[in-house]
Amino acid sequence: MIMRFSTRAFLSSFLPFAFLLTASFWLIQHSVLSTVREGLRASLRETHASVARVQSRSNIHNNRFLRILGENATLKAGLQLVAVEPDSSAARLTLIDQLSELSGTLGFDLLAISDANDKPIGGVIRNGSKWTHLDGGGSVPQHAWPGEQGFLPIEGRTFQLTSIPVNLGDENLGRLTVGEVFDFAEFSSPTVLSRDGKLVQSSIPNVQAAELEAALRVCAPTAECEVRLAGTSYLSLPVETISLGDGYLLRSFQDVDAATGPVQNILAKVFLIAGAGALLAALILSAFSTRTIVQPLASVVRHLRESEDTHVLPEFSELPSSIPEIRELTTGFNRAAASIREGRMFLQRAYIGFVGSLASALDARDRYTSGHSHRVSQMATATAREMDLPENEIENIRIGALLHDIGKIGIPDAILQKPAALTKAEFDLIKEHPAIGRRILEPVGGFEDYLPIVELHHENWDGTGYPHGLRGDQVPIGARIVHVVDAYDAITTDRPYRPGKSHAEAVELLKRFAGTQFDSLAVEAFLNSATGHQNSSVQNLAAAIESSVPVTENVEHTT
Amino acid sequence: MVAEGVDGTVTIKRRLSKKKVTAPASSYARGVTVELKQESPGDILDLERSRVVIYLEGTLPSRPISAEIVQEGRLFAPDTIAIPAGSTVSFPNHDPIFHNVFSLSKAKSFDLGNYSQNQSRTVHFSKPGVVFVNCHLHPNMTAAILVAPNAFVTTAGKDGKFNLSGVPPGEYTAVAWHRAAGFFRQPVKISASQTASLQFFIPLDEDGSIRSIARK
Repeated sequence: MIMRFSTRAFLSSFLPFAFLLTASFWLIQHSVLSTVREGLRASLRETHASVARVQSRSNIHNNRFLRILGENATLKAGLQLVAVEPDSSAARLTLIDQLSELSGTLGFDLLAISDANDKPIGGVIRNGSKWTHLDGGGSVPQHAWPGEQGFLPIEGRTFQLTSIPVNLGDENLGRLTVGEVFDFAEFSSPTVLSRDGKLVQSSIPNVQAAELEAALRVCAPTAECEVRLAGTSYLSLPVETISLGDGYLLRSFQDVDAATGPVQNILAKVFLIAGAGALLAALILSAFSTRTIVQPLASVVRHLRESEDTHVLPEFSELPSSIPEIRELTTGFNRAAASIREGRMFLQRAYIGFVGSLASALDARDRYTSGHSHRVSQMATATAREMDLPENEIENIRIGALLHDIGKIGIPDAILQKPAALTKAEFDLIKEHPAIGRRILEPVGGFEDYLPIVELHHENWDGTGYPHGLRGDQVPIGARIVHVVDAYDAITTDRPYRPGKSHAEAVELLKRFAGTQFDSLAVEAFLNSATGHQNSSVQNLAAAIESSVPVTENVEHTT
Repeated sequence: MVAEGVDGTVTIKRRLSKKKVTAPASSYARGVTVELKQESPGDILDLERSRVVIYLEGTLPSRPISAEIVQEGRLFAPDTIAIPAGSTVSFPNHDPIFHNVFSLSKAKSFDLGNYSQNQSRTVHFSKPGVVFVNCHLHPNMTAAILVAPNAFVTTAGKDGKFNLSGVPPGEYTAVAWHRAAGFFRQPVKISASQTASLQFFIPLDEDGSIRSIARK
């Protein structure tokens, strides 16, 4: 897989970071949550136990209170009355009436009384603010009569019962049973009442009896246990301190999820935020460190790519990084670039030298043109400098001027050295030399800049030149300068058919044709440079130039 | 007929006792729901005034009578009577339940035992004094019998007015008694063909102590 260095560096620094962070946050959250859950469960258990303690205390209180009730003299008198008059319904009614008087002030929901043989006599049940009489023989069947302790379901209500014996001295007169409505609503937590494993009553919503019994079967009767009912987990504790007797068991339930939920939610949120923050920080840090690592490399790479586009050899002027490896890399690149440039320059110099020698050889073919290329090169360079051209342009002009007549290699000596005026055909042949020169130099790499001078140094300002008839600015400045200098050198040099003209005459001619054949600016610059440092060869040749052909024609013929 | 005697008024401005009212006797049928009330309606001060007994102390003849206190609706009715010494009081039971009427008072102690509806017991009171009557089975049942030393005894009406007529002229001590407030005495002089006038104020002072103000 191809992946950028920066991506790779980022991923390899960020991913382990992210993984470690996520894992550690998950672990911390997990352990904290379970600790919190355990703590909450413990506090639930504690609350539970304290509630049970309070209930048991009130139970003891109730028991004492009941003992006092058992010492009620009128109740004893009533029981005695019933004992004396066993068949009298009025006697029984008297006793029941006493109970309703008692219950009016005692706050019990049920009072019942039975005789010394545990035979029911009667009782009363509170119904709102009213009292209903219970008849021992009638409305309540014998088997459903309140036992000593436990629960009694009557008329859709469940009464929790307690009883005490009514004694007169050593003699037992009977037993008084008091009951309170067992109201599950009084329990703040869901409560389940069962008897011998069978559900009697439950205040857990949406849970079927069978499910509840099944869930509670695994709980030891007196032990705490945790059960799941209808998707909620409950902590269940037996309310053992309330002694119910008769196989009854009361368990209270605490919704653990509801108790721990809010805290867990908050913690989860906190950890989520902290985790996200840490991940973000990791992301930023990784990005930053990746940047620090990759940046210098990237700048090196960018530099290399730029040099690829511009064909300029890469060279790092200032070391882009304090990292030793990067410095070494750039230094290496610099060294390589330097050696390549050196090699290339050597090659170019060699080629130019070679071409220069070629030009010299060309010049040497004809004694009249001997040194022409070097002179033109010299004077064109001076002119270009006079015109304040950029240095690389001056250099191009120098070499281009040196090579400008290279095309004459392809012109027969007979024509070149003809000691008479040229015929039209011969002159046409001469006109070929710029194109030939171009053809010679074109395949040489790195000579592109010299080609215009070679090709176009016979184009006239007014478009009358050759080979293309370009005019004015269409011809590059280098070619225009060489055109002027070439003409001057030709005018002032001896030819087989005429001697060279004097400097003054040449100047006169150049001035005359400035603006038609020549670029006036180039002429002016040339003249300025020529007056500044008079070319000795020009002086020497002044005489030879005297016998020049008519200027126009001659200029046309110059090489 | 000579109108010598005593006319008087008992003034009570505050209630002196609380009366607990239990279910009426008609509710004794089995399985019937009974509604309990705390207080009977009516002017409570009327009730208090009618509980005041007025008699004369002095050497006066007695004339025994027969009186009755019924047990009805777990109450004695009336709950206060005044009789001359030597009178008899019968205690018929009108409730469908048993009652056991007894008294532990110094003037007369007795226990009539348990008896049910439509039965009655009679007690002879020879000694003057206050006799409180209770029921063993119903501790809230209570009645007071004032046994006066002579025949000149009466209870005030609801308006507080009382009258004792045919009193031989002489000087006596007039006594007003209320079961909660106690005895209030004031001297009274009865002249021939004269009706003496008495005023008894039976208030409770602000500090709760009992005080009597007698005026001629």
